Amino acid sequence: MEALKKASVHLSKHVLLAVSALFFSFPFIWMILGIFKTNKEIWQQPYKLLPYNFDFYRVIESIANLSFGRYILNSLFVGIVGSFLMILAAALFSYVIVFMKGKYTKWLFVLVLTTYMLPGAVTYVPSFVILARMGLLDTLAGLMLSNLASVFAVFYLRQSFLKMSYEYFEAALIDGASHLSILRHVVFPLNKSAFYTLFILTLVQQYNNYMWPSIILRSNENFLVSQALRQFFIQGGAYGRNWSEIMLASTIVIVPLIIVFAIGQKRLITGIAQDSGIK
Amino acid sequence: MKKQNATKFLFLAPFMISLLLFWVIPLFTGLGISFTDWDFISPEMSFVGLENYVDIFTDPDFSKAVWNTIVFSLGTIIPSIVLGLCFALVLQKKFTGSSTYQMLTFSPWITPAVAVSLVWSWIFEPSRGYANHLLEFLGLPPLEWLHSSETAMLGIIIFTVWKSIGWTMIFYMGALERVPKSIYEAATLDGCNSISKFFHITLPMISPTTYFLAVVNIISAIQVFDQIEVMTQGGPGGSTSTLLYLYYERAFQNFQMGAASAVAMVILFITLVLSIIGARMAKQHVHYE
Repeated sequence: MEALKKASVHLSKHVLLAVSALFFSFPFIWMILGIFKTNKEIWQQPYKLLPYNFDFYRVIESIANLSFGRYILNSLFVGIVGSFLMILAAALFSYVIVFMKGKYTKWLFVLVLTTYMLPGAVTYVPSFVILARMGLLDTLAGLMLSNLASVFAVFYLRQSFLKMSYEYFEAALIDGASHLSILRHVVFPLNKSAFYTLFILTLVQQYNNYMWPSIILRSNENFLVSQALRQFFIQGGAYGRNWSEIMLASTIVIVPLIIVFAIGQKRLITGIAQDSGIK
Repeated sequence: MKKQNATKFLFLAPFMISLLLFWVIPLFTGLGISFTDWDFISPEMSFVGLENYVDIFTDPDFSKAVWNTIVFSLGTIIPSIVLGLCFALVLQKKFTGSSTYQMLTFSPWITPAVAVSLVWSWIFEPSRGYANHLLEFLGLPPLEWLHSSETAMLGIIIFTVWKSIGWTMIFYMGALERVPKSIYEAATLDGCNSISKFFHITLPMISPTTYFLAVVNIISAIQVFDQIEVMTQGGPGGSTSTLLYLYYERAFQNFQMGAASAVAMVILFITLVLSIIGARMAKQHVHYE
């Protein structure tokens, strides 16, 4: 009886998980299958989930015609360089508030904490004006500069630095190491997994970013992927919508992220779960 | 000592300059602009006092947006937190395939909201999408989804929950791992069953994570934009226009910077009030070690 009960719990768990797995992955399956559907197939009744045939030649041809390469490069550039700069600024700042405490550092952290609680989007109008005054509107440099101060990154790194043993820091200081080299050769290696997780998280966020970039970037050649996708989506109008091509564009935008995710998946998941230790 | 101060200054500068330029100064200028009639194009602006605030508070679009923001926030935060916890509880014990399930649940979170919103727009298409096909299969009447003011918000909420469950799940998995096993063992010896263990041990022990997730999710719910812009653009009939969307329309489509800034200040005020209430509640109910 006990064994039967256990088996049925086990079975129902797997059925439940399989159903939810389908719920989570269905949009992706739908997207991939959509690439191979022609407009005629999309309109047909009764509806079929699978396309008639998988014409890879046509798909490769369409990829060449879409020319999304430029946007993917822009997004990757902002994702990699922007995240690097963002984490560098946050690491320097967190280093001071954790290891070089003084009268003012406590207040600086309170300021950071307060901004963490605020929706950043409310600053978009004045930030837009400030960027315009600096002549950085419609540039990727302006986008990266305005995203430089990541309150989340400071929050995350501070948490990780605090868990580090203070002795390593003191020993390096007695050895006469400069603060920059302590950060580089002591603090960084000891917090590697936090830096790694943070880098992937910010890369994903910057790559996907939509609202703020679409406000400040106006010329087509500067678009990030999300903005380019949206433009591609609306240009045909609601009725001339070519779903097959839209699905293809979405897929090629997602692929670089899937690669990043596949490489970093294990460490990313344990990193968020463990290092974020909310205290 | 002097050298140390110089180092401190240099270390703090990059972050602080950017924080001041794009956070602190904009907050105060935003407050200033909210008392003017600035239209972004003309160089001059005049002080109009509280006119913008009076305007928005008497505007039916505004009260609709407040209501939509509340519906969206509650409709996404509660399911994400509850379901995220359920998945974390199920996937916490390692078994064959558990990491695949974990990855599937998490993958919507990493993909660009705009890209997957496009996919969901097609799923929600009344005549060609799969959502209605599924309803038909279950013997239910089809819905107009994003094309009707009654169901558009539901569509946006389903999408948002789909996208954010993985994120809450991962935080809960870490939190569940940190609960000391010895407490459960002691409770078993005292004869507690698994349901009372869940309510008396697990829930209080993970309450800091619940609090954290509630705060983070409220802030991101208030700032929701991408899926609304792609799937409905606030429509039909303003049924999915949230406060932030109203702000965006006023500022960057109509160039009513004064009115937009007034909306921004209201958003800010609501967030502040919620944070204060949250902090009060946390003091009473959140269990810190």
